[in-house]
Amino acid sequence: MTGLPILEITGLSKSYGAIRAVDGVDLQVHRGEICGLIGPNGSGKSTFFDCTSGLARPNAGSVRLDGQDITGWSLNRIAREGRMLRSFQKTVTFGALDIEENLVIAGQMFTFPSVASTFGLGARSRARVDGLRQRARELIRLSGLWDVKTQPAGNLSGGQQKLIQFASMLMPEPKLILLDEPMAGINPKLIERVVEAIRYANEQLGVSFLVIEHNIDVITSICQRVAVLDQGRKLAEGTPAEIMRNQAVREAYLGG
Amino acid sequence: MSLNESSLPLPGRDLRLPFGLAVVVLACCAPLLLGNYALHAVIISLIFLLPAHGLNLLVGYTGLLSLAQAAFFGVGAYVSALMAVHWGTPFYVNLFGAGLVAGALALPLGIPALRLRSTSFVMCTLGFVIIGQAVAKNWISLTRGDMGLSAIPKPYFALGPASFTVSGTVGFYYLVLAIAALATFAVWLIVTSPAGRNMVAIRENETLAESVGVPTWRYKLIVFMISAAFAGLGGSVYAHYLTVVSPLTFQMSNSTLMLIIVLGGGPGTISGVVFGSLLFVGLSEALRIAPELRMVAYGFCLLALVFWFPKGFAPLITRFWTMLRGRS
Repeated sequence: MTGLPILEITGLSKSYGAIRAVDGVDLQVHRGEICGLIGPNGSGKSTFFDCTSGLARPNAGSVRLDGQDITGWSLNRIAREGRMLRSFQKTVTFGALDIEENLVIAGQMFTFPSVASTFGLGARSRARVDGLRQRARELIRLSGLWDVKTQPAGNLSGGQQKLIQFASMLMPEPKLILLDEPMAGINPKLIERVVEAIRYANEQLGVSFLVIEHNIDVITSICQRVAVLDQGRKLAEGTPAEIMRNQAVREAYLGG
Repeated sequence: MSLNESSLPLPGRDLRLPFGLAVVVLACCAPLLLGNYALHAVIISLIFLLPAHGLNLLVGYTGLLSLAQAAFFGVGAYVSALMAVHWGTPFYVNLFGAGLVAGALALPLGIPALRLRSTSFVMCTLGFVIIGQAVAKNWISLTRGDMGLSAIPKPYFALGPASFTVSGTVGFYYLVLAIAALATFAVWLIVTSPAGRNMVAIRENETLAESVGVPTWRYKLIVFMISAAFAGLGGSVYAHYLTVVSPLTFQMSNSTLMLIIVLGGGPGTISGVVFGSLLFVGLSEALRIAPELRMVAYGFCLLALVFWFPKGFAPLITRFWTMLRGRS
């Protein structure tokens, strides 16, 4: 059972008009692993993520999560039923709401069995929300955001919002998290905190990761395995050390 | 030390309960305090509060700007009128029927409309009002066209052998007050539920809401239906109050009035919408003293609102509630 990859993507393709953004990519993420996905700008990483997470529909290929075929499922269904969550390159939070509300929302659809049950106001519904609040507070403390927890999330810095988004994804005890450039646009001090958060989730909570990141130092320090995309195709795959030595990868990055 | 302490603002007392009681007493005594015409204006305000509550769920909480409220308001009015005239059913049956039909009708209309994005959605909802009016005008065998339906009975209640008819402005006031209070309570139940939190999430960022598992499509459709049902209830009360309905019930200005109530009163707040309906419908009625200048003056009032209170009265209302709570 443990040998089965948590995420198995086969022949994934996506075209926008004549442009083949992703062209027959195979990729596996093993259970408990942090896998990196790198590539020059415009290499199709984000499209690959969108097709995997359900934000976009792939033209061909299949996505299997924990042995289940989830190709063509919507973003919300993949999150809810598959417990595979994703972040966005441009950091987003529910800006007008405080951190606790942000996290409670992130956990609600995993606690309530149906849309209809979320309209309930009975004791059971209240107990569920109380449970979510408790977990939210724990995660706020762990993320070091306790001091700003009553402020609207939209007023916080980009780095703090990244931490909120990360904490939100931990609310439902996810199996796999897709991170789209978690280090983009945050100051170096917070980079360490985000790295710590990823390590904590991976080691303590057993969450697997697939991470798009331009910061090669971060990739080499946290990932066990890295795949490289270039012009919509997978160029190479291996340990960070192997990738750094790979001639084709160097050429793709240097435009050689 | 003691001097220092006494100079600090004392933690004020929580005045919300006394304030609430004062509002209740005032609402109950309104017929004693107001003249017949003012009471009529308050009744119209409370009737428009119903569609405004529905619209607030849609615009203020879920972030979907809709102009369709007048269409569902009209549908509610006609359904109620037809039931009363043809079947002679008691008021509460008509009211329930109107809400149900308007809410159910929102399903086939909402499915295509909600697939559209922002501006296109607004245009589409505007279309519903125009279609509604055209149907009311031209389906003459059912609606009697421009003549409208008249002689709609005053609300009567029948339970077994006992029956009771609400007639007169004062009686109607209490009936509408009760319905408006129940509707306000229902809205409160919805927005404080976990579903209410999901609605706000959709308003704040739909894609993010999707990414944490919220089926935004289903929520938007449900809220659209609830909102239409509220408009249908309002239309039903309206029909029984005026005892006449005509295609004018479907007029665009009804939709804009409901929108002004919500945006001006304070989108995303319940008290703001209650305040807004009393203010804006009241204002519209009060300006009847100068009929030829009425709409011009109304327009200027709206301009003043936009310039001085760009967020509606919501910030003022929030400040007012914190003041009542007694904590700074």
